[in-house]
Amino acid sequence: MAKTIGVAPTRMELLKLKQRVSLAQKGHDLLREKMDALVIEFFGIVKRIREVRAGTMQQLSSAYRALSICFAMQGTIETYQAAREVTKVAEVDISTRHVMGILVPVVEAKPIERHALARGYGIHTTSSTLDDASREFERALGDLIKLAELEEGAREIALELEKTKRRVNALEYVILPNLKSMVKFISMRLDEMERENFSRLKRIKAMLEGRE
Amino acid sequence: MSFKIVTIADAETAAGFALAGVREVYIHEKKEATLVKLDELLASEGIGIIFITYSIAEELGFDFKRRMRAKKALPIVLRIPDKTGWVPKVDELQEIIRRTVGAEIIVKGGS
Repeated sequence: MAKTIGVAPTRMELLKLKQRVSLAQKGHDLLREKMDALVIEFFGIVKRIREVRAGTMQQLSSAYRALSICFAMQGTIETYQAAREVTKVAEVDISTRHVMGILVPVVEAKPIERHALARGYGIHTTSSTLDDASREFERALGDLIKLAELEEGAREIALELEKTKRRVNALEYVILPNLKSMVKFISMRLDEMERENFSRLKRIKAMLEGRE
Repeated sequence: MSFKIVTIADAETAAGFALAGVREVYIHEKKEATLVKLDELLASEGIGIIFITYSIAEELGFDFKRRMRAKKALPIVLRIPDKTGWVPKVDELQEIIRRTVGAEIIVKGGS
């Protein structure tokens, strides 16, 4: 149901409304373009996530396998102890990049893979399975960091996409039809007044002619 | 700027990540305690990435999802499989696609 109540059927109002319609139309077109661009970006990221994810999961499961072997060969307590002794801390650099006005994180990992001696646990008391497990986990961590970046990017873009879509729909299905129906109402009303006026003039003319 | 990485996992998974240099590990025991810890982590500044295992995320359930929706850009939270390799059946990415695009779309390439 279109809203036509509270609109004064005047020429001024009609002009104003027409301006608003063209503005809304322009906004709608722009948002639509933005949405298309976001969709393209989004699917690019989704595709990359699929590729990275497959590799990461494989790496992670082989890391878990190496860890299980380590637990079995070296003993649970010793492994926990070694894990506690690891000194070098993995850190990441995070900056941002703009995609269609959205901030998408870019994560850069500092070198994670280390030499066995640099890890911090004593190699004297630990077995080589621990080294294997550590190496596998370092690799998995590198992959996971990459995956985290991509997933976060996808999440941000998806959120923005949702917002943009809602706006496009609001414009397309609510605001534009409303404005258009108001324009129609006013122009009909003006036409009606025109016709009324015309017949009134005719009548007056006939009356004037009758008097002569 | 450099940020720390934190892991929320069970003891064994956490040990693996500790070996890789993720020193800040939080071992999950009780739901309430983990939620408090998670809030604390999400609010703190110097943390870049939080890894949380799928099984814990599942256990936290709706509380976890709500926090994910409300959180800021940082820290990034990534769910990972734990040592059992368990991953929930519903693919989260697929879910996002369905919500935003309004149709299930299968992307070729990868797995």
